[in-house]
Amino acid sequence: MSVISPIADLTYRGYDGPMNTADHRWWAIAKMMMRQAIKKKGFWICGVLSGWYYMVMMVVFYFVDVLSANAGAIHNQFLSNINWKDQFTTGISTAQLFLLFVAMVIGIGTIANDNRANALLVYLSKPCTKLDYLIGKWVGIFIPLYCVALVPGLIFWAYIAMSFREYGSVSSAPWVPLQLLVISAFPAFLMASLCVGISSLFNQGRNAGFMLFGAYFVSNIFTKMMGGIYLLVSDSRIIKDLFYASVDGLSIGMAKLAMFTDGSTMMVQRSQQAAVTVGRPDAWFAILAFFGISALSAWVAWTRIRPVEVVG
Amino acid sequence: MNVAEIRGLTVQYGAFTALNGLTVDIPEGCIGLLGPNGAGKTTLLKTILGFVNPAAGGGKVLGFDIATQGRQIRQQIGLMPEQDCHIPGMTAVMFVAYAGELAGMPKEHALRRAHEVLEYCGLGEARYRNVETYSTGMKQRIKFAQALVHGPKLLLLDEPTNGLDPRGREEMLDLVQSVSHGKGVNVIVCSHLLPDIERTCDEVVLVMNGKLRAHGLIKDLKKIEGHPFDVELREPNAAFAEIAANKGGTVLDVRSHTYRIIAPGIREDAARFLLACAKDADAQIRGLVAAERSLEDVFLNAISTKPTFDIPGAQA
Repeated sequence: MSVISPIADLTYRGYDGPMNTADHRWWAIAKMMMRQAIKKKGFWICGVLSGWYYMVMMVVFYFVDVLSANAGAIHNQFLSNINWKDQFTTGISTAQLFLLFVAMVIGIGTIANDNRANALLVYLSKPCTKLDYLIGKWVGIFIPLYCVALVPGLIFWAYIAMSFREYGSVSSAPWVPLQLLVISAFPAFLMASLCVGISSLFNQGRNAGFMLFGAYFVSNIFTKMMGGIYLLVSDSRIIKDLFYASVDGLSIGMAKLAMFTDGSTMMVQRSQQAAVTVGRPDAWFAILAFFGISALSAWVAWTRIRPVEVVG
Repeated sequence: MNVAEIRGLTVQYGAFTALNGLTVDIPEGCIGLLGPNGAGKTTLLKTILGFVNPAAGGGKVLGFDIATQGRQIRQQIGLMPEQDCHIPGMTAVMFVAYAGELAGMPKEHALRRAHEVLEYCGLGEARYRNVETYSTGMKQRIKFAQALVHGPKLLLLDEPTNGLDPRGREEMLDLVQSVSHGKGVNVIVCSHLLPDIERTCDEVVLVMNGKLRAHGLIKDLKKIEGHPFDVELREPNAAFAEIAANKGGTVLDVRSHTYRIIAPGIREDAARFLLACAKDADAQIRGLVAAERSLEDVFLNAISTKPTFDIPGAQA
């Protein structure tokens, strides 16, 4: 024991200070997850990059507006044709890859690394239940991801609401702020569920990361193929639904459903949109697949989380 | 008051029965939980914590039922597990404070207490280092600190001196002894290292094949019937043993120049009797101590299929 110490009394004393109730012990776990997440550079870098579409659009809209004002035009044709609501579904769609990176940085190793370090013995020997642990880990991934998905969209909405009101940025999509709150939750919800489920299967964070990465890209390639088939060959409802059967596709499909839009591509005439975009999926398919995969992941984590290896 | 009352506890891992109807009362103080490898010691601790579900039986820990009040039990318990355990990516102070928060302490209190406990455990200088960079001895201490941070009423220490060098082991045993005596903390030390148990504990519970094999104060377990004395002479002297036997004493054992003798009459007169025998045999006494068994003898006898002496507290 240290002889020289800034604390004069080195003898052991019991703790008789205040104690919180055991009701929300998961919140302590979630808070610690978030505290650790915001210390990581990767979180901030990927988080900022996830809003690249909004940033690009803000720059484009700004210059289009300024140039048109300099040219003396009262009403800009380009801005008049913008489907404001679809900017947010496109924003969420283009953020998916970076949200995956954020999830890889802050969440995928969470339970795997605890398995490696036997941390479950620390958690579960305290008055925390397995449910507290699981909810804490899930919330600790969900909230940062939600913020990453939400904040750029909110900034973008504030910008267009203040700058392009005359082009219908608010009147054509009055519910966008509320819809944004909902659609930002989809990727965060799915990624957090996948992270806890996949992470619980491994003892090394990097292995869990490879698994999530693989699942993301393999399913992504599959859905791209389905998209191609849908646009080229037929207007099949099943193919359309399968277009959304990927990690990012499910979130995008749910976002389109929540925004009540089929999505659009900016540089294409409205009459030709159907030829280049895949409309929103069947609601039942998307909801069942989205919550089914999330529930399956949570169930896997639930069965895998235990403080001792029970043999036999 | 008993810290734990275990009744007919049976725990099975598949076909393997780790605890087989164990019934034991664990009193307050520092208790050693002894047993050979695979005896069921760690399983007992895990059952107390609610990590494994008993197949039969049950019990109470600190007045709480182990089947239904796991959270309340764990609120009052600190566990120092056998294997390395930490939360990755944290400094020691962060880790211990977090352990406090998990136990329900408000953040500021947990942080203050973490500093205190780390100082107490001798990690004050290294508290801002990442736990993953710690040596084995330091990892043992940090496990001890996280178990202690919320001021538990009962500490469960599973092999606390595992992997420690002699100095580290001494320091760890000092810590255990200091916490368990006069600080209001009850301790169950689970180990198969008998000197560690003897050094820190007042009482032992000996388990084998999931059953209780011995239970009692260490001094009582080591006691030999008839209160014999070990008499160490300057040199071997056959006449000494002969005279002692002629005067009514019982010579139990002779090893080189040490004689184990039961003196006749009351225990208080034994020294006078032995001195008189030595005088008559013209022998010089160099040492005179009340004879007792070693804890190792007690342990080996308890786990033997053919015990040579009776051990108190054994379960049928």
